[in-house]
Amino acid sequence: MKKIATLILSLGLSLVAMAQNATLKGVVLDSANQPVIGAFVVEQGTSNGTMTGVDGDFSLTTRRGANVEISCIGYVSQVIVNDGAQNLVVILADDAEMLEETVVIGYGVQKKSVVTASISSVTEEDLKVQSQTRVDNMLQGMTSGVQVTQNSGAPGASSTVVIRGISSINHASPLYIVDGMPAGSIDYINPNDIERIDVLKDAASAAVYGARASDGVVLVTTKSGKEGKTVVNYDFSYGIQNPWRKPAVLNATEYAIMMNEGMLNAGNAPIYDDPYSLGQGTDWVEAVFDKNAPIMKHDLNISGGNSRINYSVSGGYLSSKGTIGGRFDQSYYDRMTLRENVGITLFDKSEERNWLNKLTFSNQISFAHIKSASISANSEYGSPLGSALGMSPLDPIYADAAEEERYKSLYPAGYPYIIRNSEGVAYFIADGGTYNEQANPIAMLDRPHAYTSTDKIVAGLNTELQLFDGLKFRNSLTLDLSYVYSHSYTTQYFLTSKSYSLDTVTSTTTYDAKGNPSTVEKTNYGSSATQSMNRYYSYQVENTLVYDKAFGKHFLNVVLGQSAYMSSNSYVGASSRGLMYPDDPWKISVDNTLGKQTDGDRNGWGRWNSIPYSILSYFGRVSYNYDERFLAQATLRRDASSHFGPNNKWGTFPSFSLGWNLKNENFLKYNNVISIAKIRASWGINGKDNLADFLYAVYAQSGNNYIFGSGANGTESVNTGVKASGLANPNAKWEESIQTDFGVDLGLWGNRFTATVDFYIKDASGMLMEMQVPSYAGDSAPTGNVGTMRNTGVEFDLGYRNNIGDFNFGVRFNASYNRNKLTKLADDATYITTSSHKIGTLTRGDVGEVFPYFWGWKTNGVFQNWDEVNSYVNAEGNLIQPNAQPGDFRWVDVNNDGKITDADRTKLGKGIPDWTYGLTLTMDWKGFDFSMLLQGQLGAQTLNVTRRTDLYYINLPKTILNRWTGEGSTNEYPRFAFDSANENYRMSDYWMEDASFLRARNIQLGYTLPVNLTKKAFISRLRVYAQVENAFTLTKYSGCDPEVSGGFKEVGVDRGVYPQSRTVTFGINLTF
Amino acid sequence: MKKIFIALTAVAVLLSACSKDFINPRHNSSEPLDEYFNTPERLFQCLVAAYDPLEWYDYAFGQYDNLHLIFDVMGDDVYAGGSNEGDQPLIVKTHYYTATANDVCNQFWTVNYSGINRAATLIKYIDGAEGVTDATKNLYIAEAKVLMAYYYNMLWKLWGNIPYWEELLEAPYIAEQLKHDDVYARFIKLIEDAIDLKVLPMKAAGGNEGRVTLAMAYMLYTEAVLYQNDQSRYQTALNYMKEIINSGQYALVSDFAGIWEESGEWCAESIWEINYTSEGGIRDWGNSIAAGGQVNSILTGIPAPKNVPDYHEGWGFGTIAKSAYDMYADDDIRKDGGILNFAKYAESHPGAEYTPRWQDTGYWNLKYIAREGGNHGYLASDNLNYGNNERIYRYAETLLNAAELSVLLNQDGSSYLQQVRDRANCHDTGVSREDIIQERHKEFVGEGKRYWDLVRSGLASSVLKAANHEYRTVDWTENKKYWPIPQGEIDKDPAIEQNNY
Repeated sequence: MKKIATLILSLGLSLVAMAQNATLKGVVLDSANQPVIGAFVVEQGTSNGTMTGVDGDFSLTTRRGANVEISCIGYVSQVIVNDGAQNLVVILADDAEMLEETVVIGYGVQKKSVVTASISSVTEEDLKVQSQTRVDNMLQGMTSGVQVTQNSGAPGASSTVVIRGISSINHASPLYIVDGMPAGSIDYINPNDIERIDVLKDAASAAVYGARASDGVVLVTTKSGKEGKTVVNYDFSYGIQNPWRKPAVLNATEYAIMMNEGMLNAGNAPIYDDPYSLGQGTDWVEAVFDKNAPIMKHDLNISGGNSRINYSVSGGYLSSKGTIGGRFDQSYYDRMTLRENVGITLFDKSEERNWLNKLTFSNQISFAHIKSASISANSEYGSPLGSALGMSPLDPIYADAAEEERYKSLYPAGYPYIIRNSEGVAYFIADGGTYNEQANPIAMLDRPHAYTSTDKIVAGLNTELQLFDGLKFRNSLTLDLSYVYSHSYTTQYFLTSKSYSLDTVTSTTTYDAKGNPSTVEKTNYGSSATQSMNRYYSYQVENTLVYDKAFGKHFLNVVLGQSAYMSSNSYVGASSRGLMYPDDPWKISVDNTLGKQTDGDRNGWGRWNSIPYSILSYFGRVSYNYDERFLAQATLRRDASSHFGPNNKWGTFPSFSLGWNLKNENFLKYNNVISIAKIRASWGINGKDNLADFLYAVYAQSGNNYIFGSGANGTESVNTGVKASGLANPNAKWEESIQTDFGVDLGLWGNRFTATVDFYIKDASGMLMEMQVPSYAGDSAPTGNVGTMRNTGVEFDLGYRNNIGDFNFGVRFNASYNRNKLTKLADDATYITTSSHKIGTLTRGDVGEVFPYFWGWKTNGVFQNWDEVNSYVNAEGNLIQPNAQPGDFRWVDVNNDGKITDADRTKLGKGIPDWTYGLTLTMDWKGFDFSMLLQGQLGAQTLNVTRRTDLYYINLPKTILNRWTGEGSTNEYPRFAFDSANENYRMSDYWMEDASFLRARNIQLGYTLPVNLTKKAFISRLRVYAQVENAFTLTKYSGCDPEVSGGFKEVGVDRGVYPQSRTVTFGINLTF
Repeated sequence: MKKIFIALTAVAVLLSACSKDFINPRHNSSEPLDEYFNTPERLFQCLVAAYDPLEWYDYAFGQYDNLHLIFDVMGDDVYAGGSNEGDQPLIVKTHYYTATANDVCNQFWTVNYSGINRAATLIKYIDGAEGVTDATKNLYIAEAKVLMAYYYNMLWKLWGNIPYWEELLEAPYIAEQLKHDDVYARFIKLIEDAIDLKVLPMKAAGGNEGRVTLAMAYMLYTEAVLYQNDQSRYQTALNYMKEIINSGQYALVSDFAGIWEESGEWCAESIWEINYTSEGGIRDWGNSIAAGGQVNSILTGIPAPKNVPDYHEGWGFGTIAKSAYDMYADDDIRKDGGILNFAKYAESHPGAEYTPRWQDTGYWNLKYIAREGGNHGYLASDNLNYGNNERIYRYAETLLNAAELSVLLNQDGSSYLQQVRDRANCHDTGVSREDIIQERHKEFVGEGKRYWDLVRSGLASSVLKAANHEYRTVDWTENKKYWPIPQGEIDKDPAIEQNNY
């Protein structure tokens, strides 16, 4: 019985045991739905476990209800109760700390938790929310403290990148370091090759690049291969581009009404009897733009590696047509790139000994071929868009037979060379007297086109040798060679009577010594060809020693290094007139011309190694932390630049930074809410060597000639004279940027919420500019360290991400506030830019003001009637504006002297925004992903000076219809008049508009096909997506685009920018 | 492996070793000035550069301040002209004595100091060249000193109290401002030093026309002495004038009108001219200081002429007062030899007319008018490349200086005066200083001499009264003697004291 009982019991037990075991089957995926290979699936507290296979699948039998832990390096582990599920999908979240573990800091990487400087990092993951053709555009809206303004909507156009405000009157682009090598032009890099971008914003982080770091440093790291199986990625996209907005101009009826009004206001008879019969007329703006200009990209990347070697090889092709002139091959950008990054471990004996135990090489080679053409833009003088704005809607695009017949007699010499389209139809010729430089923009575009072709090779070799224990020696050599070839030609053409190039014959009469004349006839060719080649060459050699060691709770990292960089440029070019085969573009070259050197028709130039630019540097950096709680870093760099003379060749750039990582303190270590808590402070000096070559010394300058002899006796001759090149300032030294930064990093709820806030004060001192030297010194004033400028700002970077079941989402928001102030200037009249037509001076720089700012007269409404004009009087009772009439602007008498004079000009606004911001939204759900990048600015104005007020009978912007038409009609716009005694169109706030905007830079929707579907075709991942760039822009600006760069000295001046494109793209990402 | 390590170390060491050359690249299109002037040819280039600013006066830095024009508009013979009061306001303000520190012909300031700088550069580098004889060195030094004095003389006459320096300034490039008497005392010494070197030829010839000569130095010396009314140097000045006269190398030419033709350049009467050439002239709107033609003729030419075969179109500045034309007897060859009476011209040229502009008188400065063919052979702008040299010193002035100094020293110099009158067919007979000043008036209409004669002889405050002038509303007073110093200079050197203009 007892036995039976035992048997039953044991049976029962075994029955229970049988019933309680369960087999768990499933697949482990990452957040991108990629299978996680080699993840451990282990019953907790036992050694019972397995690993996931190539598809992320696993099967594990345990006791039912046991806790099964699924873990993999780089992911947050999960514990699952084995309930015997057969189709379990485990999605491992990326381990935030692992992902953000390191930051590239220049000559090394640093754990983010111990970083004491202000560095913004943008990873490959972050960059996925956009599609850019250039690296400089990629940072737009991505991070705080970096203001990126696209200069143009032209294909391949660069951006103006300003890190923490315009740093100096000599503001320049930030220093781009690509894989350790300073890159002059950045467009050779295929954005698809980029793994991450780190922006060194404060002086402490940039100090290790002491020289040239004062405008900020952007570190670009390209993709390298990872150990594991070979991964092949192929991306393809095709998009169509259209301008997101076209400037609004008057139609024929409106134009005729305005012209009539202009004539009446000038006391003349109207021109058009019945404006309403004229209808719409020609829409020149519509005509000048292309429809659906294509953009296409192919990118292929192969990467992989094993313990000894890793590689990443990629090739890319980009072809983009411009929305203005693209169909005439006047505006396009084609780029081919090849890149190969290889790492080789020559030997690794680190497990055997602690000295000379490891040697690795890494090698990067990239080649880029770029061919591009661009039209003149952002100019009110005869650019295609500028002309399209000005052409009368009454003018047709093409000339009809009668009109063409008219040209024969009107332009007898020009007629054979009027522009015709490919079918031979003549383009309409605008009246030269009316339009000056402007002409039929379509004819302008349908002409021979110039192009530029760039070939660039950058190759680097890095060697790293483990010397002893924590001591490493690193050597890096980089060579950068590029050739820029440009080719342009002009055939004889006749666009208008003001814009043509024709052969002409002139006769020149010369006299011999006795005064006898002789006459020679000469053909001045209207056609010409120019070819030129520039070769840019630079190299850099760097040697660094790195010591990295932990002593108990003390962590020490020391970098000592030396860097030498040199760049030079050689060029050769030729031009000649008189094309032999003007009708065959294939045969166009300088060789095939008729021009003779003796007639001055053929010209050549060239120089070998135009003054080399070199920088020699020594630097050291000590990073120390105690227990990852108290953090400190000090950097010292000494640079010598070829731009400075012996007295001040060297500059010394120190920096210090401190941090306190509160999270690692006992009182926060186990806090479940706060996951990151760090405060930082830094101070440092960066340098700038923005001085022209050899300005520190006096050189011989020829061309200071004088005539001796007598014309009467034939002995007159010009003698060569040589003088000093100018006054020298041998003491010109490095311009400095001194920056103090305070920052806080915060993370909550397992870094679901992160925040970084920085406050900075950045002072430019010793700005290099023309010195205050009296002209009685007898020569041009030298450049010296005069002038100071201050930028103060606050930056916020906020992030939140979470998931609700399968639905993952993330929000990243950044905002930056910057205030710029010119605090000292040598000569405050120096920095004026002027628009040469009637509007006058536009911007200027002054002590105590933002640099640059808009400067002009303030308006205070429009005089509604004569009473208002007559009651605007000064203290003596005299009219303040004696030339005004109703409908004219009432100018503000700023200096209260009872008159409106030049002295009443004042600050009107500025093109530099107070705030720039960016917002990224990402979400995904079961293979669907969606992202949106919003970006914008607040507190900036734009000067809309696209209109040519010096030309009378040209078309006008639609806003002119708001003009004053009688008492009470408007108090903002003056009456329409071609010219007014009151000068209504001089520089005033009338031209200025609010340039705040919010722009949907990119909206993307993608779908990744289920892996089990695609793996049958050996495809591990297939994603299809659609995206819209510039889907919408919210702005009050009436012009083409509120995003106007205008360059550092004319920020926000819109002279007719090439509007940015709205691009609709479809693409696929394939991974094998 | 060890080899690699050694190689890398070697690279590092090598780099540090050659660092000095590395960061001191050589200029590839120019040489440091300190090393440049090392051959006779290059030293001569240095000398040429010191002459270069002479030809800038008429159109440097965008101001059309031709020497004779800008001086004459302050006197009583010449009006500003042009299209209106706003056309070339600096000329008009000079004309009206209403210049201000911000609106003054400040290019004179810059041009003259540029010249001083270059003369000082030559003196600094004179010993750097090998193979240059002491005689040549002394000649160059003498030329440089006289040129420096020439530039200072002009600054001194225009501004009086000016920063004065002779050796190249060094950072911070500040010089002491001297009172006008002290400026005179310093630069007159420069001329004396140059004369004492005894290397300057009495006359330049054979392609050296335009370079400083002894006669030119004497004339400059005398001009300054007379302007300063420096009695202590009258006798020396008179001796210098007699030396020129007795040298026999200069003479009055009989054809007064011919002096102003191209064929009259460096004629027997010419002591010094600023050289211009139209042939191959490269003066241009964007290249105002290139050596080429001059800009004055287009400025003072006849506006929109029709049926005028002898003269080109000009902009109508610098019209000649009727009183100037009327002061001559009809048979004085200087009357129609120096002034174009357009009405008279039209009598012999049917249909000749032009479009009068502001301050038109009908009389034009024939000496520098835009002549037909006057810009022959120009390469750049046809307007900016007339070949007329600027006549600075003529032998007639030598004679008149001698006459005046004689009077001042109570000696008999009437024969010198008579020579000038005889050549001109002038029947005046007085021999007092006032008569000599009047003879100078007749001789030098439109040559930029008259205003200075009025100032130095004390006649200015009575002659240059607004009441005597058709357009002026401001009287000339003693404080109009010195122009306001350009504001920019005071901004940059606050120690400079402004003139009370």
